[in-house]
Amino acid sequence: MLKTVADADAVLALALDIGKSMVRCGAEINRVEETVIRICHAYGFDRTDVFSVISMIDATVTDEKGVSHTQMRRIHTRGVNFRRLENLNALSRKICAQTPEIEKAREELAVICIENKRFDIFVCMGYVVAAMGFTVFFGGSLSDSLASAPIACVLYVINLYVKVTGVNKLFFTALSSFVAGIGAITFVHFGFGNDANMIMIGDIMLLIPGLMLINSVREMLCGDLMSGLLRLLESVVLALSIACGFAVAIMTLGSIW
Amino acid sequence: MDFKQALIIIISGMIGTLGFSYVFQSPKRRTLINILGGLLVCTIYVVCIQLTEMNFFIYFFPALFATVYAEIMARVVKAPATPILACSIISLVPGGKLYYTTYYFVMGEDALFDATMQELLDIALGLAVGIICVTIIVHEINRHKFKQIIDVE
Repeated sequence: MLKTVADADAVLALALDIGKSMVRCGAEINRVEETVIRICHAYGFDRTDVFSVISMIDATVTDEKGVSHTQMRRIHTRGVNFRRLENLNALSRKICAQTPEIEKAREELAVICIENKRFDIFVCMGYVVAAMGFTVFFGGSLSDSLASAPIACVLYVINLYVKVTGVNKLFFTALSSFVAGIGAITFVHFGFGNDANMIMIGDIMLLIPGLMLINSVREMLCGDLMSGLLRLLESVVLALSIACGFAVAIMTLGSIW
Repeated sequence: MDFKQALIIIISGMIGTLGFSYVFQSPKRRTLINILGGLLVCTIYVVCIQLTEMNFFIYFFPALFATVYAEIMARVVKAPATPILACSIISLVPGGKLYYTTYYFVMGEDALFDATMQELLDIALGLAVGIICVTIIVHEINRHKFKQIIDVE
């Protein structure tokens, strides 16, 4: 079993990098903490203390001699990528079961975490289909649903740009909402679609952090008050920026038409 | 709500679930499971609307079902439950309410803001409580299985 000082740091680094990748693709905090503890435990460290919020993971392992090793990871951007989350889950299970060499595990982690920064037609179609579905779900007509489709494409392109360049997400969410608002009102003005609000709500479902809100309440009820609060705050701030974007769109076009 | 409206809600909710399954980049072999989850959740939602007027319960039961469904499916296909849960429940997530709440806040419509805020809180609590009712039970079972790891103290 690996228990030297250098190995403690390597194991901790591996566990934290996996944890960081998990947070980045949308895992719950208690799941991340559990994964870090399990990986360290698999390599023979009985005592691991982990603290994680949505923007940071901090962990300490104590080796046989009673020496503590601490590392932390800062997490700047988060998104949702369930395929990667599933692969990470499988990797951590494999690590716990087989305890492979650290380098080998790292190679696999690197393969899983390759960021796809090119235009993905499936995700784009997902945006279109989701927007069309939810426009009808919230009471829009079929023509509203068709009008929401091109706007959803634009939203995907903006989202991709944010992901590739790593610019301020809040500003670009407001911009997305502004663009969607302008698009919806323009379409309705020229007779494509009946109700701008319905077109808007379908496209807004793509931007709004509704799932984040539910997860924040869930985490708070489960006792992860810190990350629950942070998530709640983030979702409210994002929702505010969306509302501002649409309000500005209405004011701009309202003064023209 | 007549039968036609109910059908429109169920089908459009299912289409929305299909879209979000790709937006969330869920593995393509899980798409069918996600769509089925979305379909069942929307159906239960429509039934709950008929039975009660309390927002909490309208959203509590579909969330409860979705979590059970996700946990079972996760065991069947040997995958984590969270992605399946997130995709199946997405059509009930109060995105519209959250948006309207902040929109009324920005526009300064206090009365409407208060009303939608109240609804939003009811819905969010209903969904979250529905989900954790099941996850707590599953967590307890897992904790007994891996007691030596979790209870490090």
